[in-house]
Formats: sequence, structure tokens, C-alpha cells
Amino acid sequence: MGIKTVAVHSTADADALHVRRADEKICIGPPPSRQSYNSIPALISAAEVTHADAIHPGYGFLSENAEFADVVQKCGLTWIGPQPSVIRMMGDKVMARNTMAAAGVPILPGTGVLKSDEEAEEAVDRIGLPVIIKAVGGGGGRGMKIVKERKQLSSQLAAARSEAQAGFSNPTVYIERYVDRPRHIEVQVLGDGEHAMALGERECSIQRRHQKLVEEAPSVALDDKIRSELLKVAKKATAALKYKTVGTLEFLLDEKKRFYFMEMNTRIQVEHTVTEEVFGVDLVRTQIELAAGQPLRLRDNLKPRGHSIELRINAEDPDTFAPSPGLITGLRMPGGLGVRIDTHIYQGYRVPSYYDSLLAKLIVHADTRALAINRLRRCLDEFEVEGCKTNVAFYKRLLAHPDFVAGRIDTHFLERM
Amino acid sequence: MTKRKAAATKRSVSTATARATTVAPTPPSGGFDLKLLRDLARIANEYDLESIELTPDGGICISRVPAASARMFAAPASSPASLSLVPLGAATIAKAEPVKVADDSVVITSPFVGTFYRASGPDSPVFVEVGQSIRNGQVVCIVEAMKLMNEIEAEADGKLIEILVKNGEHVEYGQPLFRLEKQ
Repeated sequence: MGIKTVAVHSTADADALHVRRADEKICIGPPPSRQSYNSIPALISAAEVTHADAIHPGYGFLSENAEFADVVQKCGLTWIGPQPSVIRMMGDKVMARNTMAAAGVPILPGTGVLKSDEEAEEAVDRIGLPVIIKAVGGGGGRGMKIVKERKQLSSQLAAARSEAQAGFSNPTVYIERYVDRPRHIEVQVLGDGEHAMALGERECSIQRRHQKLVEEAPSVALDDKIRSELLKVAKKATAALKYKTVGTLEFLLDEKKRFYFMEMNTRIQVEHTVTEEVFGVDLVRTQIELAAGQPLRLRDNLKPRGHSIELRINAEDPDTFAPSPGLITGLRMPGGLGVRIDTHIYQGYRVPSYYDSLLAKLIVHADTRALAINRLRRCLDEFEVEGCKTNVAFYKRLLAHPDFVAGRIDTHFLERM
Repeated sequence: MTKRKAAATKRSVSTATARATTVAPTPPSGGFDLKLLRDLARIANEYDLESIELTPDGGICISRVPAASARMFAAPASSPASLSLVPLGAATIAKAEPVKVADDSVVITSPFVGTFYRASGPDSPVFVEVGQSIRNGQVVCIVEAMKLMNEIEAEADGKLIEILVKNGEHVEYGQPLFRLEKQ
């Protein structure tokens, strides 16, 4: 795009690949995120001394922090993301539910911010069991408690509130109907403030403790009719928000194939890659163009081609999932038609212990899901890392499982495996 | 690691990285000019050059390996003739220079990313000068971050023997600012 980049990094990431590849680099703090990647003063100061024009917050860290987005804009920099007011709105899970409901998006029967245990009891009467208690300030699977029996309600409420306070400094909770075997379906949306579009869906049902491991596009759970309805609803909601840049609306699909809005991620996601593969659209480039004020130029009737699957290759034990940082002494990665690897690692790189265990995203594209799975199996055989353990062996087991191959998956799949 | 290229109008020598090729220039007599080859290879190595091309009309064309990739590819252990590269370092703002710290010297580093100033204002005297005795807790400079002037204090006693950055220079977290000789 002809845009120069500055890579900010903590001392632990001084040798990261993106730091080496960026036009400029600047160390902003010690390894703890609070003093580096989550430090607004350090980030703004770095932007000032490097004379940056814009900040791309990536994912994680401060990417969905409305206060940071506000500060960035107030300092005269471009925030590569949606308006801070929208980030704030979607960050409050109850407000997000209400906003979406008003825009005609189906939501699960539930409550607003619970003001008392009595209110919770009434809600359970109305909604029926099982229900799930969620933190208003939470998200990403954290701070959730399931209630299957009436007698658990009061203790689970207390537990949820104290976890919410500890995790998000906000003890308020709400309740939703709990869907037993949901599939996680999300929609990639884009907007320029006036126009919006929904660029297909992704399925991310294979998760471990609410952390996604496998993502694919499109979802084999949807037929054309449901897909069309889902994308229409997502586009309408995005337009109602006058949303700018890119985002994702996450839904649950229940066993009757009804979809319900869960939350909106007001940033680019890890798994944006599989959408890029099936649509041939560069989402990060589009995101930057939209942030620069360009209008949404993608054709409305884009159709996906083929099937794409992404596996998150993590530095962890394939059986216990315990993190496994270390020095990568050997690295050989697959390639060829329909194989894409997004990674920051290289031979000689030391995986730090301070951050996420994600090493690489292994993404394949093929004409069908079956062919994509075959290609993925071959890639796993060719993916060799020496120096730290990876979950490659776990994925080999997963891809051999007949239910996975048949597309009979839901968010509890791994618990049963 | 050493390959002879097919006849070309140019004669060229390339540095040894993962793509090492060294071509023997062919003088009119048809024999090897080994001394020239050695000299060219040494020059290429010393200046981290990607290639030196000697054109038929007597000109020389050189190109350099981008610093980032020069640092990344370690010479493979199995290749005995590999040359080691001396990374020259990318020209970045606020790059931390690796400073050799002698046993009895201590380095004061920046605790913020920002701009380094030797005095509290353009007309004020500098906080410290080379040769001065510094006490633990003494303010030695200012690092300005986001319009806030942060006074940086020494964390040891010592004699200031070197000032490692220039007034008004941008500094990053951890960048060495002063070297003190312990007393």
C-alpha cells in the first residue's frame, strides 16, 4: 500500500519477525503487558516520536478499548477501527443485546443488567432452565456460569459476580437461555459509516475453554435460505450502527438451526484469513482503506468460492495443552497450492512465555471441505517444529474423527473427544 | 556453495548467505584470477554486500543485503565454507545500541519511550556533565513523553563517563542514556 510501518514491541518481543520486517521499530516497555502493550501512554508516546499518522490495534490488548480509541483520535491520529462510541456500546454486552434487538437481530431470551437475585429468579421462571449467567463487561467466553438446576442459581450468581469483578472490574451480570449444543457461527461485516456489507460467515465451533482452535468458511451447517437470512440480518445491524471499518457479529445456531446474536467484535479477528481465502478479499487492506475514509467499494453480490479451514498451531503440549515456550531450533513448514501460513516464528526464534501461545495460523483452501481436510492432513504431516511442543498431533487426531469430517460439530465437541 | 555461472556478459561475486554463489571471473587467458576472487569476496563480506558486478566496460555495480534479513539467516552449520555476516543494523529511530558494559560501570537506561533532554528547558543549564560525580537519586535528564516532562534519576553512585544520546533525540524503553563508572 506504500504505507510505512512502525512496530511497537516489549523487550521480550525485540526479535519477533514483524519487528524485523517493519520499516521502523520502537521498544515501548518491559514484558508485562500492563507496562507495554496495554500502556496507553507508552503507545501514544511511541506514535508521537515516530510521527505516525495512524494506529492499528490488531486483536487482543487494547483493540477493543474505547478509551484508547478516544485518546488516539484526540491526539490527532487515525484509529484503524470503528468509532469509540460503537466500541463502547458493543463492549457492554447488555447494551449490545438491546441495540441488536432494536435492529431486528434475533437474541436469546434473557434479561437486562440484573439488579437483584429476585429478578434472576423471575427470569428463570420466564426463560426456563438451563440458563447461563454472563458478565456485562465480559466477553470471549470469560466470566460465564451455567445453571442447570434451580438450587444452583443463587450460588452461581454469587460466583459469577465475584469473577466478573475480578476479571473486568464490573460485577454486574445478566442471564440468557442456555443452548445445549450450539454451533458458533459468525459473520464478517464491513462498513464505511453509510453503507454496510456482510462478507459471508465462518464457523468456529471447535473451541477449547472458549478459545477457538479451528475456523472455517463457509459453514456446512447452513443451507442457502438460512445463510441468506443470517447475512441480511448482520448487514442490517451493521448499517444501523453506521459502522466503520471491519467487525464480526457472533451468533449461536441451535439444534433447530435458529440463530441468535451473542456479541460483536469491533476489530479484525484472528480467523479473518479464511474469509479472505474464499472471497479473495484482503480484509486488512480494506480495513485500512476504510479507516482512511475511503468508501466501501466491494460488490454486494460476492459469492465465496470453495472451502477454507484454519488451524491455530499453538506452542503447547498436544495432550495436556500446557503451554510450551522455548527456542525454535528447527522449523519446516508446508506449502503448495491452497496452503497459507501466517506466522511470526522462524528458526532461531525464542517463543516468549509472557504472551499467547499462538505460533502460526495454518490455512488451507480447496474446492470442497473434504478436499480441504485432506490438504490439511498433508500439511500437518509436513509441519515440523523442534524446540517447543505444538498441538499438531492433536489436530491430526481431530481431523481423523468421523464426526468432524462429517461436519457434525458443536462447541462442546472437544469436551467429548 | 561455490558455483560457476554460465557465461555471462557480466562477472559477478555474491556474498555468502543462504543463496551463496561465487562466480569465478574469466580473464581473457581462460585461467582463474584467484586473488581477485578472494579480494572481492572479502570486500563483499566486510561491507555486507549482496553482489558485486564487474561490467565488461570496466564498471562496478554493488548491492547490499537489507539488514533485517542479514541478521536472520544464520550460516548453516553443515556448510563449512560459509562466511559469517556482520549485521550493520537498520537505520531506525531510537535503536538501542548494544553497549559493552565493563565490570565497574553501570548504564542508566530510559524507563519510557519519548524525547531525551539534558536540561529542564532550552535556557536552563544541563543536569549533568561528563566527569561529574553522580549520586543515587540525582536527576540526570528529562524524558518527555506525551507533553509530560519526566525527570530521570540515577539509581547508583558513580562518575559520569559517557553520555550516550544527543539532546532532543528520541529514545525507546530500555535505551542506554548514560554510563557511570562506579566509585
